Amino acid sequence: MPAGGSDSLKPSAFIPVCTAVCLLVGSTSMFFVFTCPWLALTLCPAVPPCCAMLFFFVLANFTMATFMDAGVLPVAGEDEDKDDEFRAPLYKNVEVKGVQVRMKWCASCHFYRPPRCSHCSICDHCVEDFDHHCPWVNNCIGRRNYRYFFLFLLSLTVHMIGVFTFGLLYVLHHMEDLWKLHCLVTLVVISISGLFLIPVLGLTGFHLYLVSRGRTTNEQVTGKFQGGVNPFTRGCCNNLEYLVCSPISPNYTARSRKKTAVHVRPPFLRPELDRQMAAKVRDNGIQSVALQNKQSPTGAVELSDIKQLRTPPPLPPKPDRSLLRSQVAVMDDVGHHTKSVIPVSIPTVPQLRPVLEAISRGSSPIPPEQLLRTSDQQGGAKGPDSFSESKGSPVRGSHQACLSVQPSLQPCTVSSSSLQLNSLPLNSRSLTLKHSGRHGSKCQLLAMHTDGLGSNPVAGIISTSGLLASQCSSSVGPSYDNLINPGDPQFLAQRGAPSLGYHPHFMSLGSDGAVQRPVPHSYSPVFMGVTRQSPQPRDSSPSLQGLPSRDPSPSYQGFIQRDSSPAFQGLIPRDLQTQSVTSRDVPPPGAVKRETVPQGLQDSLRDLMPQDMTLPKSAAARYDNFSKTIMASIYERRELEERERMLHVQARAQALYGPDVGIYDIPSRRSLPPDNIRPPGSRGPTPPAYGSREFLMSTGILGYGMRTSPLSSSSTSSLTRGPKTSSSPLQSSSSSSLHSKGRSSSPAYGPPERQTQGHSSSTSTLPRLPSNTYPTPPYTSYPTAKRSSLPFSSEGKESVTLGTLK
Amino acid sequence: MRQQASIAAKVFIQRDYTNGTLCQFQTKFPSELETRMDKQQFEETVRTLNNLYAEAEKLGSQSFFEGCLACLTAYTVFLCMETHYEKVLKKIAKYIQEQNDKIYAPRGLLLTDPIERGLRVIEITIFEDRSFSR
Repeated sequence: MPAGGSDSLKPSAFIPVCTAVCLLVGSTSMFFVFTCPWLALTLCPAVPPCCAMLFFFVLANFTMATFMDAGVLPVAGEDEDKDDEFRAPLYKNVEVKGVQVRMKWCASCHFYRPPRCSHCSICDHCVEDFDHHCPWVNNCIGRRNYRYFFLFLLSLTVHMIGVFTFGLLYVLHHMEDLWKLHCLVTLVVISISGLFLIPVLGLTGFHLYLVSRGRTTNEQVTGKFQGGVNPFTRGCCNNLEYLVCSPISPNYTARSRKKTAVHVRPPFLRPELDRQMAAKVRDNGIQSVALQNKQSPTGAVELSDIKQLRTPPPLPPKPDRSLLRSQVAVMDDVGHHTKSVIPVSIPTVPQLRPVLEAISRGSSPIPPEQLLRTSDQQGGAKGPDSFSESKGSPVRGSHQACLSVQPSLQPCTVSSSSLQLNSLPLNSRSLTLKHSGRHGSKCQLLAMHTDGLGSNPVAGIISTSGLLASQCSSSVGPSYDNLINPGDPQFLAQRGAPSLGYHPHFMSLGSDGAVQRPVPHSYSPVFMGVTRQSPQPRDSSPSLQGLPSRDPSPSYQGFIQRDSSPAFQGLIPRDLQTQSVTSRDVPPPGAVKRETVPQGLQDSLRDLMPQDMTLPKSAAARYDNFSKTIMASIYERRELEERERMLHVQARAQALYGPDVGIYDIPSRRSLPPDNIRPPGSRGPTPPAYGSREFLMSTGILGYGMRTSPLSSSSTSSLTRGPKTSSSPLQSSSSSSLHSKGRSSSPAYGPPERQTQGHSSSTSTLPRLPSNTYPTPPYTSYPTAKRSSLPFSSEGKESVTLGTLK
Repeated sequence: MRQQASIAAKVFIQRDYTNGTLCQFQTKFPSELETRMDKQQFEETVRTLNNLYAEAEKLGSQSFFEGCLACLTAYTVFLCMETHYEKVLKKIAKYIQEQNDKIYAPRGLLLTDPIERGLRVIEITIFEDRSFSR
């Protein structure tokens, strides 16, 4: 009997087993006592010993089938599924011998079930090569004990046939003494054996068929390979051979861990240093000088390639991502809530400001002093000039960004490998976050982890560019690889992004907050002015004084109400869907303060809004597996393009409607007010940290997240896994509020996406957390925000999902 | 005694199911390890592990006789004797320990025996390189 599983330990679960044991042992015992002496005398003295041996074999197999571990897979550790919570799909496709097999995410065990593995609800664990749960032995039948179960069935069938036959012989020879004890007992025995022989024979025949076809009961019953090809079959004879002769796989759960301590202490070797060592510790158990010689030239080639590619990096500077990530990391570590002041020069931001404030309140941003300090450290040299110049600067800039924003981490030396190393402190931070709280930190950790991957230098492009090409060209096959290497597709997005993207914007804002941008189109205005100045109330912020009133921008409305692009249907992974959801919920508070804008302006602006999305629809399916970082980059590009158009529009509108419209004053001053307006102690605006709520919301605000069709026409990989099964019951309430098909989160937000009434609307989209656990407004319960260190959110976060079915 | 380095990240090498449910791991070099070790070394390690697991799961005369003996003794032989698979698992554990000592630990990495994860992933722990960052 299995050790775990609540259902299998219930008293009622033992009834079939006990019945089976009683019937088997009882009947056979009576057969041996009452019938076998006559058989030994009349037929052959070898009959009873043979029957005894057969019965002994039946019992042995029965015991093994009952008590042997079926191949239970242990539950995955917390650190293993760090990136598999909200963003990854429910199914992962894998190719087995040319056949696509779906691996489903097991919410209880926290891993993608290997092929042929299934979760037993009675025993509550995943079993390798799961066949079925047999009530007669009260155990799962799986990889390790299927052989014993099958042999038990075979031997039991033979035994029952034997008992029935010999008993019948006895009765036929003792027809005159039918009512004698021996005869009566034999009659009872043969009736029992005859009665149970039929189902047992049927079951044996069924399993013989399964073995010959190479299927499990589970696969047969669910009809997995009915019409298609079974990739797991080896042919009839080989299947039988495998059944009988295969080695018994090990027990995973009950292993004695005899670990010898491995001391891992810095300083650590590096690949560049390795090659300089002549014939050192290179033996992988294979003493081969030729191998070593082969390694060094290839390694040298790789290194040179890396360096070559690094000098003219084709991608926008990744360091900003590091900066943002580190900001997020530090913020989360601190766990403070700061108000975000948003001195904006772009019309859309005023509407966002109260929302962003509230969101940042809900998040755990860096204390303003720290941010100010860190941002000041970067200096003006890393302003837009450095980024608009050669691409070589990002290397240094990122390094310095990491330096400044990670005061608690070790400063990195300026070297070609510094960029690589920066990812490690970040990843250590991600791990720190992980360990601080499992719940809810996954999304952030995913971003940080993947961004850690992304912050690996351009060298990563070498290895991943080929992958990316293949990934983008093929359909489902590489999706598994995508999940394995979530960082890879980032490069694609980055490559596609405009030259400066939003990264230099962050850098510039981080440095002094009021950078006069010579190239207005080169940054995302949404991020401008999003700050986390906690002690400065918005009204008193001197940086705002010089700015005109923040009217809601018709362009913002236009963004909100823009129809979803067909390219994005089916394109958005869950994280972006969540982004879009929260973005829908974000405007409501801002809408309250929105001043009326001439309707004509709005209409004209809406008309001028770009409706075309250039993203190819064929790529939509692939994006299901891309992390939110990639999508964010893509959205950034869209934003920038639209900003350009908006600027043209606004310029035109200004000409049309005159200079009185305040909103049109703002775009012309594409930068924040100069530094001298702000008092020396004030903090400059900080762009939303990458991965933070503001960031995600701002990217989603532009209406990319809207999807009219529930699921893409592509695979079910767009279904989300949702939270862990241990999440709070809020899931059920949210699932009731959210119409969802399977686990898709996007259709749930179709209807409420355009609501701008206020908090009440947001509750219909996002599950409202209980007030006692989460006092902040509901939209702060942004599920994909990584707030692992928030003390009160550890529980609520789990419950807050956008596609909240298990 | 100097303090052990702290964990920076973990990389998980997933199973390779292209040949069915045989225990094989992907030899693809993860990007997180690019700065830490050679691709060749890593691939060599994973390939050796794959070969060892293939040897463990091989359908041969040894496994057949083992099964017969088990049947004849009503499986009581499992109480005293180790199965073929278990023997190879010990070999694998020894190999991983050796790899850790010689190659991975000096580079701030640590291989975890996949048997502890149910033969689903090879977990590679990346340790924070404080000395380098100084």
